[in-house]
Amino acid sequence: MSQATLFYLANLLIYGSVDAIACLGLSMQFGVAGISNFGYIIFQAAGAYTAAVLALPHPTANGGFQSYIGGLGLPFPIPLLGAAVVGGLVALPFSLLVGRRLTGHVAAIGLLVTAVMANLLVTNFVPLFNGAAGLSLIPQPLQNLANPQGQAYQWGYGVAAAIVALAIYFLFRRITESPYGRSLRAMRDNSPVANALGKDLLSMRTAMLVLGGMAAGLSGGVLVGFITLWDPGAWGYAETIVLFAAVIIGGTGNHKGAILGAVLVPLGFEEATRFIPSSLGPPGMIPALQWVAIGLLIVGFLWFRPQGIIPEQRRRVFAKAQARAALTGASDATVRLQRAATALVPAEPAPKPEGSILATEGVVVSFGGLRAVDGVSISVGRGLLTGLIGPNGAGKSTFLSALAGTVPIAEGRILFSGQDVSRMPAYLRARAGLVRTFQLASEFKRLTVVENLLAAVPGQKGDTFVGALRGRRYWQQEELAAIDQAKQLMDRFGLLEYADSYAGNLSGGQRRLVEIMRAIMARPKLLLLDEPMAGINPTLARRIGKNLQELCAEGMTILLVEHELAFMDEFCDPVIVLAEGRVLAEGTMAALRGHPEVVEAYLVG
Amino acid sequence: MSVEAGAAPATVKGAALATELLSAGYAGRAVVQELSIRVAPGEVVSVVGPNGSGKSTLLKSLVGVVQVLSGKVLLDGKDITNWSPDAAARAGIGYVPQIDDVFAPLTVRENLEMGGYLLPAREVPGRITHVLDVFPQLARMLTRKAGRLSGGERKMLAMGRVLMLEPRAFILDEPTANLAPALANTLLEDHIRQLSATGASVLVVEQRARAVLAISDRTYVLTGGRCRLEGTPAELIASPDFADTFLGGTKRPMESASE
Amino acid sequence: MSLFIASIGFGIVTASVLAIAAVGFTVQFGVTDVINLAYSSVMIASAYVAFLINQLGQGQSIWIAMVVAAGFGAVVSVVINKYLYAPFQRRGTSPTAVVIVSLGVLLIIEYTVQAVEGSANVSYTMSQGATLSFGGLILTVVQLVIIGLSLIFMVGLHLLLRYTRFGKAMRATAADRTLARNCGIRTDRVVTLACLLTGALCGVAGTVFVINTGSFGATSADLFLVMILAAVFLGGPGQPYGAMLGALVIGVATEVSAVFITADYKYVPAFVILLVVLAVRPRGLFNAGAIG
Repeated sequence: MSQATLFYLANLLIYGSVDAIACLGLSMQFGVAGISNFGYIIFQAAGAYTAAVLALPHPTANGGFQSYIGGLGLPFPIPLLGAAVVGGLVALPFSLLVGRRLTGHVAAIGLLVTAVMANLLVTNFVPLFNGAAGLSLIPQPLQNLANPQGQAYQWGYGVAAAIVALAIYFLFRRITESPYGRSLRAMRDNSPVANALGKDLLSMRTAMLVLGGMAAGLSGGVLVGFITLWDPGAWGYAETIVLFAAVIIGGTGNHKGAILGAVLVPLGFEEATRFIPSSLGPPGMIPALQWVAIGLLIVGFLWFRPQGIIPEQRRRVFAKAQARAALTGASDATVRLQRAATALVPAEPAPKPEGSILATEGVVVSFGGLRAVDGVSISVGRGLLTGLIGPNGAGKSTFLSALAGTVPIAEGRILFSGQDVSRMPAYLRARAGLVRTFQLASEFKRLTVVENLLAAVPGQKGDTFVGALRGRRYWQQEELAAIDQAKQLMDRFGLLEYADSYAGNLSGGQRRLVEIMRAIMARPKLLLLDEPMAGINPTLARRIGKNLQELCAEGMTILLVEHELAFMDEFCDPVIVLAEGRVLAEGTMAALRGHPEVVEAYLVG
Repeated sequence: MSVEAGAAPATVKGAALATELLSAGYAGRAVVQELSIRVAPGEVVSVVGPNGSGKSTLLKSLVGVVQVLSGKVLLDGKDITNWSPDAAARAGIGYVPQIDDVFAPLTVRENLEMGGYLLPAREVPGRITHVLDVFPQLARMLTRKAGRLSGGERKMLAMGRVLMLEPRAFILDEPTANLAPALANTLLEDHIRQLSATGASVLVVEQRARAVLAISDRTYVLTGGRCRLEGTPAELIASPDFADTFLGGTKRPMESASE
Repeated sequence: MSLFIASIGFGIVTASVLAIAAVGFTVQFGVTDVINLAYSSVMIASAYVAFLINQLGQGQSIWIAMVVAAGFGAVVSVVINKYLYAPFQRRGTSPTAVVIVSLGVLLIIEYTVQAVEGSANVSYTMSQGATLSFGGLILTVVQLVIIGLSLIFMVGLHLLLRYTRFGKAMRATAADRTLARNCGIRTDRVVTLACLLTGALCGVAGTVFVINTGSFGATSADLFLVMILAAVFLGGPGQPYGAMLGALVIGVATEVSAVFITADYKYVPAFVILLVVLAVRPRGLFNAGAIG
């Protein structure tokens, strides 16, 4: 192999590693957490500039023809570390925008525009980073030890960069495969529901933005340490589009896919065109056609194979847990102990305390002048299966939403377990034990059934960023116990065979069951069910009813909104009637039928 | 606000509306099952029932918004099953949906003009004058944006929009939803009842069972996507099963849309 | 002071160019529900077609070339919408993914232009006409023509939307497509015609943009897209009158600030305004989502 080829391969290794690190960061943000960060390139640029100005000598050196801030002349590895840190810091203000107000495509556009403008500002404000000319003569890491032009250095650099890329891959994989990673994916699939189940969306998004920012910054630092140049032309918004293309083509939501995408798109493309004679066509035509090809690839992949070449793999969590249990031969005693420790229902010391677990006082919810809930004061007794009925438009769903915290109340108070939760955000109420289901389909589609259930378990050790970093050993035990719980539940509701199937692929009624089971996994003290029987056949509905009764016997309290009034007959006592936003009556269904006002309410509508 | 009764709309040759063993629903799952109903020209027929009984789905399947899975929809004997909404409009069906029934950013006059989109341009002003005779309140707010109207005014505009084409069959989905009871009664008595006086057939789905019974010639009671009771208002009110059907207390086993 | 007044004049010219572009963009969005980021590339591609016509034979009038550019923009816009965006929408693709598709289209169109045209900048062969000065404003004849054109288009669009059957059908389709279909409006045709119309505006906008800036290359309109987005979101996406107002504000703010800051940063006010609007009130000053 000739010298030239060896140099070429070393370069490939370096560029490939840099692209891989950058794509991994985007894969975490976009593929796992669902954040469309069209401004991603800014983080790489920030890292590159930081590494440069930390490594460069004072601006007056080298003839002083460059002007820039910094110039501290620091040795390896400080510029590189600085690059990663600054990449993460720059991400922080973005989390304020993305985390709160901006969602979806509007946020994406805002971020894209920010990237364009940052480029413009850096280009024009010369004292910052030498403007359009950019920075050059950037000192390379450890350039005193070996000649940077030599094979040894370049191969050393390449291998080191590849090791860093691999390390990042394993780190990101560790995070993604943890319960925390599962929560991230749940946020990606359906963020309002994740919120209602107790996930702190703002902190997750911030964490991912910073983590991805650090990866991008690091990639910039590694790159700039090799090529010794960096200017605004290297990070226009076209470059962000390329990274997105790489992640989409390689495989969204799969870190291996991100690496593949990095190799195919930024790397593969550059290199493929190297072999086309540049005399072909007018100057600049080949590079331009490269971009056209990338555009075609983006559109083509999004149409024909939106999941990418290596799509996100279905995680057979349940099968693996079963195999593991069989292998370790967990004894019955251990299993029983585990079950007791993580009971479905918060253990209540016998005898069961009486009294109400929830009380509302004059709750009012209004939508632009219309009082959907007009002064409702109820009390829900502990351990009871209470029904909530009423004609259409009576405000039942709105009331449930107000209880759960997904809709604000205008007047009144909500007291849960003695605590005033009227102003508490939904995710905190969920953590306190007040959990709801939704009327419309809200399963996490790209999570399996068992993953859906596990996502709801509160207070898991592995469900924090730090917990995820500590690795499987730290949270495995708890996870297995939770899986066992999920198994009992799936068995009870007859969905055990679908444990490892994607929730999005099940039938309507089955998805409804997943949602109910998921809410139960959240270990609620009070479970709010919003029309859970809609679209479910009577036999199944009856079985669910019995299961719900058993749960109440075990100490859970349930408040259930339903239209199928025969169901109320069989399972609910008491039943509260809402009409026109106010409580009309309360009692058993049979008693209510004899109540002339209730009959009228239904007939008057 | 008070609702003045205006002039009666002109007479049309009404069309008989009927379904034969109609099953309809979303994504292949039937919400309405094997329903056979009929409305004769000049009749007001209402469909009532508790929530989730499939009333709204039934209406949507008549005009092509929801897919008919089996069975037929017949207009004067002609099979119009699964015709698109605009084709249904052209065939003479005037459909007033429950929500999204007016163009909020367009003015009252422009809404009526859109209602008359299928008419030759020169006929439109005349039709508008006619609709304003039926709903005189609208005449005072021709330049107001529809989004700024009150609930009752909006519903009147929605009906006026449909009236522009002189439909031979009217289909109304819970027209009194979100209206105060007094207003609801007036809307039903003065305007909806009047529509049948033109000769058109009128099919109304309503939550307010009592109120709509008062203006109906015949009524169907739906639960779980199937018809449980049928008859004249007098027959139904006299029947002991009527209230029970609404409150699910029948002695018959629980039947609902299968999955 | 005189510089300030002169800059207001330039601001009005910029605003005129921006208005044609922004109104086209916002009406297209209102009817199709797609934030078409490839819009600026269609502008530049049309401007390039105008250039080719301009250079034909002994040199054709730029105004005739502009008409051809309008036709080109119209056709390309219809094709992109009908055969790319609409199929993705029918499939249920998320709006974010459709934006990514539009970025892909942006790359395809913009760099096809660059592949054909080369990376050197070109300019139209035309005379800017005499420079007139009145009341402190200093404008060339051509600039006045641009302002005039813009006014004509704005008035024309207003008349179309308010007084013609088709214009009202467009507003109805943008407000509620299902209801429009229930009225018998053939919404597919309305969308196609709306794309033709707004595509033509896009083509004109590209041409006058180049006329106003002088020389251009394939990437010249990239920053202009930011200004279009700023004007559109300021006035509310889908609101043509809002876009006109937004264009005026952004155009004048940009040119006036060039006096105080420096010309290099003149796009920054547009950027800041856009970010503030997105963060605080993404629906814009008027109600979003419907034309009218």
